[in-house]
Amino acid sequence: MEQYLVIARSVTHAQRLERLLARAGIRAQIYHAPLELNGGRGCAYAVQFRCRDLRSVLHMIYGADLGPVQVYSCGEGQYREVQV
Amino acid sequence: MIYLDSAATSFQKPDSVRAAVVRAFAEMSSPGRGGYPAAMRAADMVLECRTELQELFRVQTPEQVVFTMNATHALNIAVKSLVPPEGHAVISGYEHNAVTRPLHALNASVTVARAPLFDPEKTVAAFREAIVPGTDAVICNHVSNVFGYAQPVEEIAALCRERQVPLIIDASQSAGILLLDCRVLGAAFVAMPGHKGLCGPQGTGVLICGESAPLRPLLEGGTGSRSAEQEMPDFLPDRLEAGTQNVPGIAGLLAGVRFVRARGLARICTHERYLAASAAAGLRSVPGVQVFAGEGLFAQTGVLSFRSEKIDPDTLGNRLSQRGIAVRTGLHCAPLAHKTAGTFETGTVRASFSFFNTEAEVFRLVEAVEEILREKS
Repeated sequence: MEQYLVIARSVTHAQRLERLLARAGIRAQIYHAPLELNGGRGCAYAVQFRCRDLRSVLHMIYGADLGPVQVYSCGEGQYREVQV
Repeated sequence: MIYLDSAATSFQKPDSVRAAVVRAFAEMSSPGRGGYPAAMRAADMVLECRTELQELFRVQTPEQVVFTMNATHALNIAVKSLVPPEGHAVISGYEHNAVTRPLHALNASVTVARAPLFDPEKTVAAFREAIVPGTDAVICNHVSNVFGYAQPVEEIAALCRERQVPLIIDASQSAGILLLDCRVLGAAFVAMPGHKGLCGPQGTGVLICGESAPLRPLLEGGTGSRSAEQEMPDFLPDRLEAGTQNVPGIAGLLAGVRFVRARGLARICTHERYLAASAAAGLRSVPGVQVFAGEGLFAQTGVLSFRSEKIDPDTLGNRLSQRGIAVRTGLHCAPLAHKTAGTFETGTVRASFSFFNTEAEVFRLVEAVEEILREKS
Protein backbone atom coordinates (compact mmCIF):
# COMPACT_ATOMS: atom_id res chain seq x y z
CA MET A 1 0.00 0.00 0.00
CA GLU A 2 1.24 3.45 -0.87
CA GLN A 3 1.36 6.28 1.61
CA TYR A 4 -0.16 9.62 0.64
CA LEU A 5 -0.42 13.11 2.04
CA VAL A 6 -3.36 15.34 1.22
CA ILE A 7 -2.84 19.05 1.88
CA ALA A 8 -5.87 20.62 3.49
CA ARG A 9 -6.56 24.34 3.48
CA SER A 10 -7.35 24.50 7.21
CA VAL A 11 -7.54 22.33 10.28
CA THR A 12 -11.34 22.07 9.83
CA HIS A 13 -10.85 20.87 6.26
CA ALA A 14 -8.23 18.36 7.42
CA GLN A 15 -10.56 17.03 10.11
CA ARG A 16 -13.39 16.60 7.65
CA LEU A 17 -11.07 14.71 5.28
CA GLU A 18 -9.88 12.51 8.16
CA ARG A 19 -13.47 11.71 9.16
CA LEU A 20 -14.49 10.98 5.59
CA LEU A 21 -11.60 8.55 5.23
CA ALA A 22 -12.42 6.95 8.58
CA ARG A 23 -15.98 6.30 7.40
CA ALA A 24 -14.48 4.46 4.44
CA GLY A 25 -12.32 2.39 6.78
CA ILE A 26 -9.10 4.27 6.02
CA ARG A 27 -7.13 5.28 9.07
CA ALA A 28 -5.60 8.72 8.62
CA GLN A 29 -3.53 11.09 10.71
CA ILE A 30 -3.44 14.87 10.70
CA TYR A 31 -0.12 16.71 10.72
CA HIS A 32 0.97 20.29 10.42
CA ALA A 33 2.03 20.27 6.77
CA PRO A 34 5.64 20.90 5.72
CA LEU A 35 5.76 24.49 4.38
CA GLU A 36 7.34 23.39 1.09
CA LEU A 37 4.23 21.40 0.21
CA ASN A 38 1.80 24.28 0.37
CA GLY A 39 2.97 26.28 -2.61
CA GLY A 40 4.45 29.05 -0.46
CA ARG A 41 1.10 29.91 1.08
CA GLY A 42 2.16 29.22 4.65
CA CYS A 43 0.60 27.14 7.41
CA ALA A 44 -1.61 24.24 6.44
CA TYR A 45 -2.53 20.79 7.61
CA ALA A 46 -1.83 17.47 5.95
CA VAL A 47 -3.81 14.27 6.18
CA GLN A 48 -1.66 11.17 5.85
CA PHE A 49 -3.04 7.77 4.97
CA ARG A 50 -2.24 4.54 3.18
CA CYS A 51 -4.39 3.11 0.43
CA ARG A 52 -4.28 0.83 -2.58
CA ASP A 53 -6.54 2.84 -4.87
CA LEU A 54 -5.94 6.57 -4.74
CA ARG A 55 -8.38 7.25 -7.57
CA SER A 56 -11.34 5.95 -5.58
CA VAL A 57 -10.24 7.94 -2.52
CA LEU A 58 -10.03 11.11 -4.60
CA HIS A 59 -13.41 10.32 -6.11
CA MET A 60 -14.80 10.11 -2.59
CA ILE A 61 -13.13 13.38 -1.51
CA TYR A 62 -14.42 15.31 -4.50
CA GLY A 63 -17.82 13.63 -4.21
CA ALA A 64 -18.10 14.95 -0.66
CA ASP A 65 -17.34 18.45 -1.93
CA LEU A 66 -14.03 18.50 -0.05
CA GLY A 67 -11.86 19.27 -3.07
CA PRO A 68 -9.78 20.65 -4.57
CA VAL A 69 -6.81 19.10 -2.81
CA GLN A 70 -3.12 18.72 -3.46
CA VAL A 71 -1.85 15.16 -3.06
CA TYR A 72 1.67 13.85 -2.51
CA SER A 73 2.93 10.33 -2.37
CA CYS A 74 5.49 9.94 0.35
CA GLY A 75 8.22 7.52 1.28
CA GLU A 76 11.76 7.65 2.66
CA GLY A 77 11.30 11.31 3.56
CA GLN A 78 10.56 12.27 -0.04
CA TYR A 79 7.36 13.83 -1.35
CA ARG A 80 6.24 13.55 -4.94
CA GLU A 81 3.21 15.50 -6.13
CA VAL A 82 0.50 13.35 -7.66
CA GLN A 83 -1.43 14.93 -10.53
CA VAL A 84 -5.09 14.96 -9.51
CA MET B 1 -32.44 33.76 43.95
CA ILE B 2 -35.25 33.26 41.47
CA TYR B 3 -33.56 33.96 38.16
CA LEU B 4 -35.93 35.34 35.54
CA ASP B 5 -33.45 37.02 33.21
CA SER B 6 -32.63 34.24 30.77
CA ALA B 7 -33.28 36.56 27.82
CA ALA B 8 -30.08 38.36 28.89
CA THR B 9 -28.10 35.23 29.66
CA SER B 10 -29.09 31.83 30.92
CA PHE B 11 -27.62 31.71 34.42
CA GLN B 12 -28.59 28.19 35.42
CA LYS B 13 -26.40 26.05 33.20
CA PRO B 14 -26.39 22.27 33.00
CA ASP B 15 -23.64 20.68 35.15
CA SER B 16 -22.15 19.23 31.97
CA VAL B 17 -21.36 22.77 30.75
CA ARG B 18 -19.27 23.58 33.81
CA ALA B 19 -17.49 20.22 33.58
CA ALA B 20 -16.71 20.73 29.90
CA VAL B 21 -15.19 24.17 30.54
CA VAL B 22 -12.95 22.77 33.29
CA ARG B 23 -11.93 19.83 31.10
CA ALA B 24 -11.01 22.16 28.25
CA PHE B 25 -8.71 24.14 30.53
CA ALA B 26 -6.99 20.95 31.60
CA GLU B 27 -6.69 19.16 28.27
CA MET B 28 -6.90 21.54 25.31
CA SER B 29 -4.69 24.22 23.80
CA SER B 30 -5.69 25.99 20.62
CA PRO B 31 -7.11 24.56 17.38
CA GLY B 32 -5.31 25.25 14.14
CA ARG B 33 -2.06 26.04 15.89
CA GLY B 34 -0.28 22.70 15.71
CA GLY B 35 -0.62 18.99 15.15
CA TYR B 36 0.26 17.91 18.71
CA PRO B 37 -2.37 16.18 20.88
CA ALA B 38 -3.51 19.17 22.97
CA ALA B 39 -4.10 21.25 19.81
CA MET B 40 -5.85 18.39 18.04
CA ARG B 41 -8.08 17.68 21.05
CA ALA B 42 -9.14 21.33 20.89
CA ALA B 43 -9.68 21.08 17.14
CA ASP B 44 -11.74 17.91 17.49
CA MET B 45 -13.93 19.48 20.16
CA VAL B 46 -14.44 22.65 18.08
CA LEU B 47 -15.43 20.59 15.03
CA GLU B 48 -17.82 18.56 17.21
CA CYS B 49 -19.47 21.78 18.28
CA ARG B 50 -19.74 23.02 14.69
CA THR B 51 -21.25 19.69 13.70
CA GLU B 52 -23.81 19.70 16.52
CA LEU B 53 -24.86 23.23 15.51
CA GLN B 54 -24.89 22.23 11.83
CA GLU B 55 -27.34 19.45 12.66
CA LEU B 56 -29.46 21.56 15.02
CA PHE B 57 -29.88 24.36 12.48
CA ARG B 58 -29.80 22.09 9.42
CA VAL B 59 -26.85 23.77 7.76
CA GLN B 60 -25.16 22.21 4.73
CA THR B 61 -21.59 22.02 6.07
CA PRO B 62 -19.90 22.53 9.45
CA GLU B 63 -17.61 25.19 7.94
CA GLN B 64 -20.64 27.47 7.62
CA VAL B 65 -20.85 27.57 11.42
CA VAL B 66 -18.57 30.39 12.59
CA PHE B 67 -17.75 31.08 16.24
CA THR B 68 -17.93 34.64 17.50
CA MET B 69 -17.72 36.40 20.87
CA ASN B 70 -21.49 36.88 21.10
CA ALA B 71 -24.51 37.61 18.92
CA THR B 72 -23.58 41.30 18.62
CA HIS B 73 -20.24 40.31 17.09
CA ALA B 74 -22.02 37.92 14.72
CA LEU B 75 -24.59 40.54 13.73
CA ASN B 76 -21.86 43.11 13.07
CA ILE B 77 -20.16 40.72 10.64
CA ALA B 78 -23.47 39.98 8.93
CA VAL B 79 -24.63 43.59 8.66
CA LYS B 80 -21.25 44.87 7.48
CA SER B 81 -20.94 42.07 4.92
CA LEU B 82 -24.22 42.99 3.28
CA VAL B 83 -24.93 46.67 3.87
CA PRO B 84 -22.45 49.13 2.35
CA PRO B 85 -21.97 52.61 3.84
CA GLU B 86 -25.15 54.60 3.12
CA GLY B 87 -26.85 51.44 1.88
CA HIS B 88 -30.48 50.53 2.48
CA ALA B 89 -31.75 48.06 5.07
CA VAL B 90 -35.25 47.00 6.04
CA ILE B 91 -35.62 45.96 9.67
CA SER B 92 -38.49 44.92 11.89
CA GLY B 93 -39.86 47.27 14.52
CA TYR B 94 -38.49 45.04 17.27
CA GLU B 95 -34.76 45.10 16.56
CA HIS B 96 -32.05 45.33 19.20
CA ASN B 97 -29.27 47.92 19.30
CA ALA B 98 -26.97 45.12 18.07
CA VAL B 99 -28.68 45.66 14.70
CA THR B 100 -29.57 49.35 14.77
CA ARG B 101 -26.21 50.65 16.01
CA PRO B 102 -24.12 49.00 13.26
CA LEU B 103 -26.61 50.38 10.71
CA HIS B 104 -26.29 53.82 12.30
CA ALA B 105 -22.49 53.54 12.13
CA LEU B 106 -22.78 52.76 8.41
CA ASN B 107 -25.02 55.80 7.97
CA ALA B 108 -27.45 53.41 6.32
CA SER B 109 -30.91 54.39 5.23
CA VAL B 110 -33.18 52.25 7.39
CA THR B 111 -36.82 51.46 6.71
CA VAL B 112 -38.61 50.06 9.72
CA ALA B 113 -41.30 47.52 8.84
CA ARG B 114 -43.48 48.58 11.73
CA ALA B 115 -46.32 46.31 12.84
CA PRO B 116 -48.29 45.83 16.03
CA LEU B 117 -47.15 43.31 18.62
CA PHE B 118 -48.21 39.70 18.09
CA ASP B 119 -49.62 40.36 14.62
CA PRO B 120 -47.73 38.18 12.13
CA GLU B 121 -49.94 39.08 9.15
CA LYS B 122 -49.35 42.81 9.54
CA THR B 123 -45.66 42.11 10.14
CA VAL B 124 -45.30 40.33 6.80
CA ALA B 125 -47.35 43.03 5.07
CA ALA B 126 -45.07 45.72 6.52
CA PHE B 127 -41.99 43.93 5.16
CA ARG B 128 -43.67 43.48 1.78
CA GLU B 129 -44.20 47.22 1.56
CA ALA B 130 -40.78 48.20 2.93
CA ILE B 131 -38.58 46.09 0.63
CA VAL B 132 -37.82 48.04 -2.54
CA PRO B 133 -35.47 47.57 -5.49
CA GLY B 134 -32.00 48.38 -4.18
CA THR B 135 -32.60 47.17 -0.64
CA ASP B 136 -29.27 45.70 0.47
CA ALA B 137 -30.54 43.54 3.31
CA VAL B 138 -33.54 42.64 5.42
CA ILE B 139 -32.86 42.12 9.12
CA CYS B 140 -35.35 40.57 11.49
CA ASN B 141 -35.17 38.95 14.87
CA HIS B 142 -36.90 35.62 15.27
CA VAL B 143 -38.15 36.58 18.71
CA SER B 144 -38.27 40.04 20.29
CA ASN B 145 -35.98 40.28 23.31
CA VAL B 146 -38.46 42.62 25.00
CA PHE B 147 -41.84 41.08 24.32
CA GLY B 148 -41.10 37.50 23.29
CA TYR B 149 -43.03 38.10 20.07
CA ALA B 150 -42.21 35.23 17.69
CA GLN B 151 -42.00 36.98 14.34
CA PRO B 152 -43.04 35.10 11.18
CA VAL B 153 -39.48 34.58 9.89
CA GLU B 154 -40.45 31.74 7.56
CA GLU B 155 -42.83 34.06 5.66
CA ILE B 156 -40.34 36.93 5.75
CA ALA B 157 -37.64 34.57 4.42
CA ALA B 158 -39.96 33.48 1.59
CA LEU B 159 -40.58 37.12 0.74
CA CYS B 160 -36.83 37.81 0.70
CA ARG B 161 -36.22 34.83 -1.60
CA GLU B 162 -38.97 36.07 -3.91
CA ARG B 163 -37.50 39.60 -4.01
CA GLN B 164 -33.91 38.28 -4.04
CA VAL B 165 -32.86 40.35 -1.05
CA PRO B 166 -30.47 38.79 1.47
CA LEU B 167 -31.91 38.15 4.92
CA ILE B 168 -30.20 38.31 8.30
CA ILE B 169 -32.01 36.56 11.12
CA ASP B 170 -31.17 37.51 14.69
CA ALA B 171 -31.87 34.28 16.55
CA SER B 172 -30.70 35.62 19.90
CA GLN B 173 -33.93 34.74 21.68
CA SER B 174 -34.87 31.64 19.72
CA ALA B 175 -31.67 29.59 19.36
CA GLY B 176 -32.14 26.49 21.48
CA ILE B 177 -35.87 27.15 21.82
CA LEU B 178 -37.50 27.33 18.38
CA LEU B 179 -36.65 25.39 15.25
CA LEU B 180 -34.76 27.22 12.51
CA ASP B 181 -34.13 25.23 9.36
CA CYS B 182 -31.43 27.09 7.46
CA ARG B 183 -31.82 25.00 4.30
CA VAL B 184 -35.47 25.98 4.05
CA LEU B 185 -35.04 29.62 5.09
CA GLY B 186 -32.15 30.35 2.74
CA ALA B 187 -31.03 33.27 4.90
CA ALA B 188 -27.69 34.90 4.16
CA PHE B 189 -26.82 34.87 7.86
CA VAL B 190 -28.29 33.65 11.14
CA ALA B 191 -26.69 35.18 14.25
CA MET B 192 -27.07 33.94 17.80
CA PRO B 193 -25.46 33.98 21.23
CA GLY B 194 -24.12 30.79 22.74
CA HIS B 195 -24.94 31.85 26.28
CA LYS B 196 -28.73 32.09 26.21
CA GLY B 197 -30.98 29.28 25.00
CA LEU B 198 -28.02 27.18 23.90
CA CYS B 199 -26.86 27.10 27.55
CA GLY B 200 -23.19 27.84 26.77
CA PRO B 201 -20.89 30.18 28.66
CA GLN B 202 -20.86 33.96 28.25
CA GLY B 203 -18.40 35.05 25.55
CA THR B 204 -19.70 32.60 22.98
CA GLY B 205 -21.69 33.37 19.85
CA VAL B 206 -22.38 31.80 16.49
CA LEU B 207 -22.81 33.09 12.97
CA ILE B 208 -24.30 30.71 10.45
CA CYS B 209 -23.36 31.76 6.94
CA GLY B 210 -25.50 31.01 3.92
CA GLU B 211 -23.81 29.28 1.03
CA SER B 212 -23.47 32.31 -1.19
CA ALA B 213 -23.28 35.08 1.39
CA PRO B 214 -20.55 37.67 0.85
CA LEU B 215 -18.15 37.51 3.79
CA ARG B 216 -16.49 40.61 5.12
CA PRO B 217 -14.23 39.93 8.10
CA LEU B 218 -14.67 42.25 11.05
CA LEU B 219 -11.26 41.25 12.41
CA GLU B 220 -8.14 40.35 10.49
CA GLY B 221 -5.34 38.28 11.96
CA GLY B 222 -3.94 34.82 12.45
CA THR B 223 -6.01 31.84 11.44
CA GLY B 224 -3.42 29.06 11.39
CA SER B 225 -3.92 28.76 7.63
CA ARG B 226 -2.30 30.36 4.56
CA SER B 227 -0.13 32.36 6.92
CA ALA B 228 2.27 33.52 4.23
CA GLU B 229 -0.52 35.54 2.64
CA GLN B 230 -1.68 38.92 3.93
CA GLU B 231 -5.24 38.58 2.69
CA MET B 232 -7.59 36.74 5.02
CA PRO B 233 -8.32 33.21 3.71
CA ASP B 234 -11.26 33.15 1.32
CA PHE B 235 -12.78 30.03 2.90
CA LEU B 236 -14.89 29.42 5.96
CA PRO B 237 -14.63 29.30 8.90
CA ASP B 238 -11.12 30.79 8.81
CA ARG B 239 -12.16 33.92 6.93
CA LEU B 240 -14.27 35.09 9.88
CA GLU B 241 -12.33 33.54 12.78
CA ALA B 242 -9.15 35.57 13.23
CA GLY B 243 -7.24 35.09 16.48
CA THR B 244 -7.29 32.44 19.17
CA GLN B 245 -10.59 30.69 19.71
CA ASN B 246 -12.44 30.72 23.04
CA VAL B 247 -11.78 27.00 23.56
CA PRO B 248 -13.23 26.68 27.09
CA GLY B 249 -16.27 28.67 25.95
CA ILE B 250 -16.83 26.52 22.88
CA ALA B 251 -16.37 23.36 24.99
CA GLY B 252 -19.10 24.64 27.31
CA LEU B 253 -21.25 25.55 24.34
CA LEU B 254 -20.86 22.04 22.93
CA ALA B 255 -22.13 20.61 26.22
CA GLY B 256 -24.97 23.14 26.21
CA VAL B 257 -26.03 22.29 22.66
CA ARG B 258 -25.95 18.58 23.50
CA PHE B 259 -28.13 19.28 26.54
CA VAL B 260 -30.62 21.19 24.38
CA ARG B 261 -30.71 18.49 21.69
CA ALA B 262 -31.15 15.75 24.29
CA ARG B 263 -34.12 17.57 25.86
CA GLY B 264 -35.56 18.60 22.50
CA LEU B 265 -36.58 22.06 21.35
CA ALA B 266 -40.29 21.29 21.59
CA ARG B 267 -40.07 20.27 25.24
CA ILE B 268 -37.95 23.28 26.18
CA CYS B 269 -40.14 25.72 24.28
CA THR B 270 -43.39 24.30 25.63
CA HIS B 271 -42.12 24.58 29.20
CA GLU B 272 -40.99 28.19 28.75
CA ARG B 273 -44.18 29.17 26.96
CA TYR B 274 -46.25 27.58 29.70
CA LEU B 275 -44.40 29.55 32.38
CA ALA B 276 -44.78 32.81 30.44
CA ALA B 277 -48.49 32.16 29.92
CA SER B 278 -48.92 31.37 33.64
CA ALA B 279 -47.08 34.55 34.58
CA ALA B 280 -49.20 36.58 32.14
CA ALA B 281 -52.42 35.19 33.59
CA GLY B 282 -51.25 35.79 37.16
CA LEU B 283 -49.99 39.34 36.55
CA ARG B 284 -53.17 40.26 34.65
CA SER B 285 -55.12 39.53 37.81
CA VAL B 286 -53.07 42.10 39.77
CA PRO B 287 -54.83 45.47 39.68
CA GLY B 288 -52.92 48.18 37.84
CA VAL B 289 -50.60 45.86 35.93
CA GLN B 290 -50.42 45.97 32.14
CA VAL B 291 -49.16 42.75 30.60
CA PHE B 292 -47.88 42.42 27.03
CA ALA B 293 -48.91 38.94 26.03
CA GLY B 294 -50.06 37.46 22.77
CA GLU B 295 -53.16 35.40 22.15
CA GLY B 296 -52.49 31.69 21.88
CA LEU B 297 -49.37 29.72 22.62
CA PHE B 298 -47.46 30.32 19.41
CA ALA B 299 -47.36 34.10 19.40
CA GLN B 300 -44.81 34.30 22.17
CA THR B 301 -41.93 32.44 23.79
CA GLY B 302 -40.85 32.56 27.43
CA VAL B 303 -40.20 36.32 27.45
CA LEU B 304 -42.83 38.53 29.09
CA SER B 305 -42.95 42.30 29.58
CA PHE B 306 -45.22 44.13 31.98
CA ARG B 307 -45.50 47.48 33.71
CA SER B 308 -47.66 49.21 36.29
CA GLU B 309 -49.14 52.66 36.45
CA LYS B 310 -48.40 52.69 40.22
CA ILE B 311 -44.64 52.31 40.10
CA ASP B 312 -41.94 52.78 37.49
CA PRO B 313 -40.36 49.61 36.06
CA ASP B 314 -36.90 50.26 37.50
CA THR B 315 -38.20 50.72 41.04
CA LEU B 316 -40.39 47.65 40.64
CA GLY B 317 -37.36 45.70 39.41
CA ASN B 318 -35.29 46.88 42.38
CA ARG B 319 -38.04 45.85 44.82
CA LEU B 320 -38.24 42.44 43.17
CA SER B 321 -34.47 42.14 43.48
CA GLN B 322 -34.74 42.89 47.23
CA ARG B 323 -37.13 39.95 47.38
CA GLY B 324 -34.65 37.69 45.59
CA ILE B 325 -36.20 37.85 42.13
CA ALA B 326 -33.93 38.80 39.22
CA VAL B 327 -35.64 40.53 36.30
CA ARG B 328 -34.54 43.09 33.72
CA THR B 329 -36.04 46.56 33.53
CA GLY B 330 -35.77 49.61 31.29
CA LEU B 331 -35.38 49.59 27.52
CA HIS B 332 -33.53 46.25 27.23
CA CYS B 333 -31.08 47.69 24.65
CA ALA B 334 -34.02 47.76 22.25
CA PRO B 335 -35.40 51.32 22.19
CA LEU B 336 -36.90 50.66 18.75
CA ALA B 337 -38.98 47.77 20.11
CA HIS B 338 -40.31 49.99 22.88
CA LYS B 339 -41.10 52.77 20.40
CA THR B 340 -42.98 50.31 18.22
CA ALA B 341 -44.98 48.94 21.14
CA GLY B 342 -45.58 52.36 22.72
CA THR B 343 -43.58 51.69 25.90
CA PHE B 344 -40.57 53.88 25.15
CA GLU B 345 -41.44 56.52 27.76
CA THR B 346 -41.55 54.09 30.66
CA GLY B 347 -39.79 50.93 29.57
CA THR B 348 -41.05 47.68 31.03
CA VAL B 349 -40.19 44.97 33.52
CA ARG B 350 -39.18 41.81 31.68
CA ALA B 351 -39.39 38.35 33.14
CA SER B 352 -37.77 35.72 30.95
CA PHE B 353 -37.96 32.05 31.71
CA SER B 354 -35.69 29.10 31.05
CA PHE B 355 -36.02 25.35 31.11
CA PHE B 356 -34.79 25.45 34.73
CA ASN B 357 -37.55 27.71 36.06
CA THR B 358 -40.57 26.26 37.84
CA GLU B 359 -44.22 27.13 38.20
CA ALA B 360 -43.62 27.84 41.90
CA GLU B 361 -41.18 30.58 40.87
CA VAL B 362 -43.81 32.10 38.60
CA PHE B 363 -46.30 32.15 41.50
CA ARG B 364 -43.66 33.83 43.69
CA LEU B 365 -43.13 36.51 41.02
CA VAL B 366 -46.84 37.27 40.82
CA GLU B 367 -47.16 37.28 44.60
CA ALA B 368 -44.17 39.62 44.96
CA VAL B 369 -45.52 42.08 42.37
CA GLU B 370 -48.84 42.04 44.21
CA GLU B 371 -47.13 42.73 47.56
CA ILE B 372 -45.03 45.58 46.15
CA LEU B 373 -48.01 47.28 44.53
CA ARG B 374 -50.09 46.82 47.69
CA GLU B 375 -47.35 48.51 49.75
CA LYS B 376 -47.29 51.33 47.19
CA SER B 377 -51.00 52.01 47.52
